[in-house]
Amino acid sequence: MVDAQIKEFAFARSGDKGDISNIGLLAKNDECYELIKKEITSGRIKNHFGKMVKGEVNIYEMPNINALQIVMHNALGGGATKTLRYDQTGKSMGQALLKMSITVEKLVLERAKKAEEEIYKKYSNPDWGENL
Amino acid sequence: MKKIRIGSGSAFWGDMLEPAIELAKTGNVDYIGFDHLAELTLSILQRMKVKDPSTGYIQDIKIWMRSILPITYKNGTKIITNAGGANPEAAAEEVAKIAKELGCDGLKIGVVAGDDIFPILDEISSKGIKLKNLDTGEEDIDSVRDKIVAANAYTGADEIKKCLEEGADVVICGRVSDNALYVGPLMHEFGWDFSDKYVDKLGAAVTIGHIIECSCCVTGGMSNMWKVSKDPWKIGFPIAEVDENGDAVITKPEGSGGIVNEWTVKEHLVYEVHDPGNYLMPDGVGDFTSLKIEEIGTDRVKVSGIKGKPRPETLKVCIGYRDGFIGEGLVMFPWPDAFAKAQWSEKWMRERFKLLGLEPDELRIDYIGENVLHDTIATMPDNDSQPNEAGLRVAARTKTRAQADMVRREASHLWTAGPVGSSFGAPLNPRPIIALWPTLVPREEVKPYYFIKEVSA
Repeated sequence: MVDAQIKEFAFARSGDKGDISNIGLLAKNDECYELIKKEITSGRIKNHFGKMVKGEVNIYEMPNINALQIVMHNALGGGATKTLRYDQTGKSMGQALLKMSITVEKLVLERAKKAEEEIYKKYSNPDWGENL
Repeated sequence: MKKIRIGSGSAFWGDMLEPAIELAKTGNVDYIGFDHLAELTLSILQRMKVKDPSTGYIQDIKIWMRSILPITYKNGTKIITNAGGANPEAAAEEVAKIAKELGCDGLKIGVVAGDDIFPILDEISSKGIKLKNLDTGEEDIDSVRDKIVAANAYTGADEIKKCLEEGADVVICGRVSDNALYVGPLMHEFGWDFSDKYVDKLGAAVTIGHIIECSCCVTGGMSNMWKVSKDPWKIGFPIAEVDENGDAVITKPEGSGGIVNEWTVKEHLVYEVHDPGNYLMPDGVGDFTSLKIEEIGTDRVKVSGIKGKPRPETLKVCIGYRDGFIGEGLVMFPWPDAFAKAQWSEKWMRERFKLLGLEPDELRIDYIGENVLHDTIATMPDNDSQPNEAGLRVAARTKTRAQADMVRREASHLWTAGPVGSSFGAPLNPRPIIALWPTLVPREEVKPYYFIKEVSA
């Protein structure tokens, strides 16, 4: 087993609605999805963000696209118009989550790294979709 | 099978103009939606309108229309926008004037208004309707009643559809939901309505609207695909090619920069959404857990099998109220001992505030390059670390403008009283806070209306 950050297994995109911050976590493959589904719990999220996230955390599963939707209440310092944070709309919250550390099997980590490599390799070719 | 191509020409007040012109010119689109309103915008526009009743709309609409109308008047692309903001009538007046100058004879402008419920707020309350704050759970709107500057309902696509039925070429709305700008044309073209028969179709329309409504945020902007986005400085705005089954292909104008792949569509699907099985919009409910996303070609992604649920009985209302001020300052420190200089200055600032008796409602001090964004989870450098430079950002929320100004002043006093080398840019002015009170009202309390204006050149 090895320690690894969520960054290895998923992409993230975050945004705001009022004082609610949400993070869409997109697993890099099926195996990564099973992993983040198991590892990402509201307790761990609360623990990771500490005082940045003051309210409840809800997690929704989207198995059709291998994604988790993480909804964090009272999490943006009062919301975009009121917050003292430079990142008023919580765009960086998703990136901050990628820093969270978990323990995984070495092979799972290696396969995840390979999956990411293949994703970027595929789209580096400007005609990537020609034969689809 | 009938297909409609609909593009997104703007995601916010200040978005890029060139990709919108490109959409109109080479996108081969039937409609372009333009969203210019964020949660706060109506409060800003409402205050402009109080000062000058002929304003209160997004002024950019003038430049946008001058650039785009000459193209769409010729090729028949229709424009749907919420640039009307707090004053769609005045915006339409201005657009009509521009259209006349441009020689757009016979151009029909639809105007959609009636989302402003500020004047009837007390009437709604008096019916016993609780305007509970959805964010905080507070029930007593009276606690902020005298500070309210705007109250607007996010209305649906009904009136946009009616304008299109009456032949409108341009539809100028107030605070309709961003989403309705896209749902309206689809309802009109495919004959979808709010009956049970079309629940999934409306779910699809709401979902497709969501996917494209933030312009380049689905074509490689704000994306994990930034490394592989092609010519990102020429990023194209998105197009949804929607068929009558409610399936869509997400793409962008040929030859434009950016990228549309399964990841850019997925990352926008999850963007600013809460329960993905119940994406609530005034015109319907999208179930994002039912659909399928597949790449079918370069920069072409198919979204299919979208399910829906009937539209909610309530409309979301955003109430904005005055809630104090924010004062902010920024100072940078050079090597040597840059980080130590920043730490020294944090202490200096806190002591100065004490000395001056400034007690902000909240005070925040960030180390630039260290914890501005990652905050509590940032790992801070060692005290004896030697970075090239370090920066300090101080921000405070205060009751009065004068107190907020003290924050700015004290940050600027570090220019002379701080450690050697302390550097500064232009000072940041204090800004008033408009706090938001999101709530729900029964649909029937809001009475949107529309009318058509014809241009004779």
